[in-house]
Amino acid sequence: MKKSKLTRDGRQAIYGMLYILPSFLIIMVFCIISIALAAYFSFTNYNLYNAPEFVGLNNYVNVFKSGTFYAALTNTVKYVIVVVPLQTILALLLAVFIAEKMRNRYGSFLRSVIFIPFIVSSIAASAVWKVIFKTKGGILNVALGLFGIDEVNWLGAKTLAFVCVCIVTIWKNVGYYMVIYYAGVMGISLEQKEAAIVDGANAWQRFWRITLPSLKPITYMIITLGVISSFQIFDIVYQLTGGGPGTSTITLAYMVYTYAFSNQKLGYASAIAMVLLVIVLLIHWIQNAFFKEKE
Amino acid sequence: MVGKTKRFSLAGAGGSILVTFFALLCVAPLVYMVLMSFTQLRTLYIRLEDITFNLQNYYIIIFKNSFGRALLNSIIVAVLSCVWTDLVCAMAAYGFEKKPVPGKEKLFKVYLATMMIPSQVTLIPLFLIMRQIGWLNSYAALVVPMAGAFGCFMLRQFMKNVDDVFIEAAQIDGCPEPLIFLRVVLPLVQPALISLTIFTFVSAWNSFIWPLVVNTNTQMYTFPIALSLLDSQHDTNYGLTMAAAAASFVIPFAMYVGMQEQFVEGIALGGVKG
Repeated sequence: MKKSKLTRDGRQAIYGMLYILPSFLIIMVFCIISIALAAYFSFTNYNLYNAPEFVGLNNYVNVFKSGTFYAALTNTVKYVIVVVPLQTILALLLAVFIAEKMRNRYGSFLRSVIFIPFIVSSIAASAVWKVIFKTKGGILNVALGLFGIDEVNWLGAKTLAFVCVCIVTIWKNVGYYMVIYYAGVMGISLEQKEAAIVDGANAWQRFWRITLPSLKPITYMIITLGVISSFQIFDIVYQLTGGGPGTSTITLAYMVYTYAFSNQKLGYASAIAMVLLVIVLLIHWIQNAFFKEKE
Repeated sequence: MVGKTKRFSLAGAGGSILVTFFALLCVAPLVYMVLMSFTQLRTLYIRLEDITFNLQNYYIIIFKNSFGRALLNSIIVAVLSCVWTDLVCAMAAYGFEKKPVPGKEKLFKVYLATMMIPSQVTLIPLFLIMRQIGWLNSYAALVVPMAGAFGCFMLRQFMKNVDDVFIEAAQIDGCPEPLIFLRVVLPLVQPALISLTIFTFVSAWNSFIWPLVVNTNTQMYTFPIALSLLDSQHDTNYGLTMAAAAASFVIPFAMYVGMQEQFVEGIALGGVKG
């Protein structure tokens, strides 16, 4: 009896492995092995045409000597610091306000509308915003002109081009994070809120003492998602600014792409990619430690 | 709610106006895109009489500018990606959640960890692997990597709530294992599959950097690549570019309007419960 049960479990385990196998192969080849290969190439001078030659730490030395790399690193970090808090706070405020004060058909309509930019492709979004940001006759400058504001060279000035990239990103992402927050706010128990109301807590106090603490796991997740996706920003930079003017909007991801596929310096680009990987893992580790400590 | 008294609050009204204003800012660029797509402008000074509401730009985009092929490629890739991702991820989720595989929790942690890896890190090796196996300029190169940890995670979350009795009943009836998966498990997780399908469709449809790298033959361009090229041309006919942008938006938008509930549920499933 016992033996037959064992074989049954064994058979189930084999079925289980077979079910897992396809995804396992995909994740192994396209993620794990790929990372190992990227690490290997980062120590070579591979350029697509000649066999890779081992060059030790040369690529890394050159990366850390390169001014473009520091520009890309600074821009990426600045971008994360600007975009993640803004989109998180905006999404939180919108979700909480709509859930608390506009729980009606109009509120849910607005919620649906705010989500729409998320399904626009980054390339289409950038193509449209590029026209909106045009200095001569761009609709944004025309609108500002009505208030007597002079033409602004949005995509041509260094700081402003960076601001434009941030605007398009936030415009595109806020709705997505708002929907996640909204589901979270709806999950907060009514009893808790009612008890607070009975205790005489006003809306502001309820927000700080009940809503915000209950949403902590969601906030953690949204920040994680936001940081990871902000570190990878590529499409919008590629289409909206091309990294320019100068190197003012170039990012690490954009640098990996251009060095690998425009300049065929695959070894060098792999070194930048590895630096990007280390930074993302480091931030994740810090964030984990920070959130666990406050638990 | 305590006290149904609907007191008029200034903060509430002001907030509603702000939210309405924000929602307008969200759609304004898209409305502008659609209006511009009906003009033949080479300058940006748009006047009401320029908006012709004829489909000339859309006609040119699809039939003259080789966007037709790009549109077809995008549709094929998106549909195949959905089928492939649903199948691979549902199998994985079933295996991880309902089968006694030794070491499965550790392996699942590895799956989850891969979601953090920036796609640019694997971009170069992935390209070289595809070149090695002769998959450059193929649909397979765009479809196969689409099935990843996110789908496995999302479906497993949902499968946790599926009662084992249905599966056990089928096993007792002597139903062969592949049929249990196809006839019992897949229908039980259908709501999550719909959400995953929507997600996969939109991300395959909008995917840019990977098709840009791996499909360099003009015949294999997807829609975003074709749009990107058109937009980068110096002699820009704004109406034409906007029509292409609008055309790329139509299908995901129609899906969103038709299946809003599933969109939102899918986000909550992948997000909140995790």
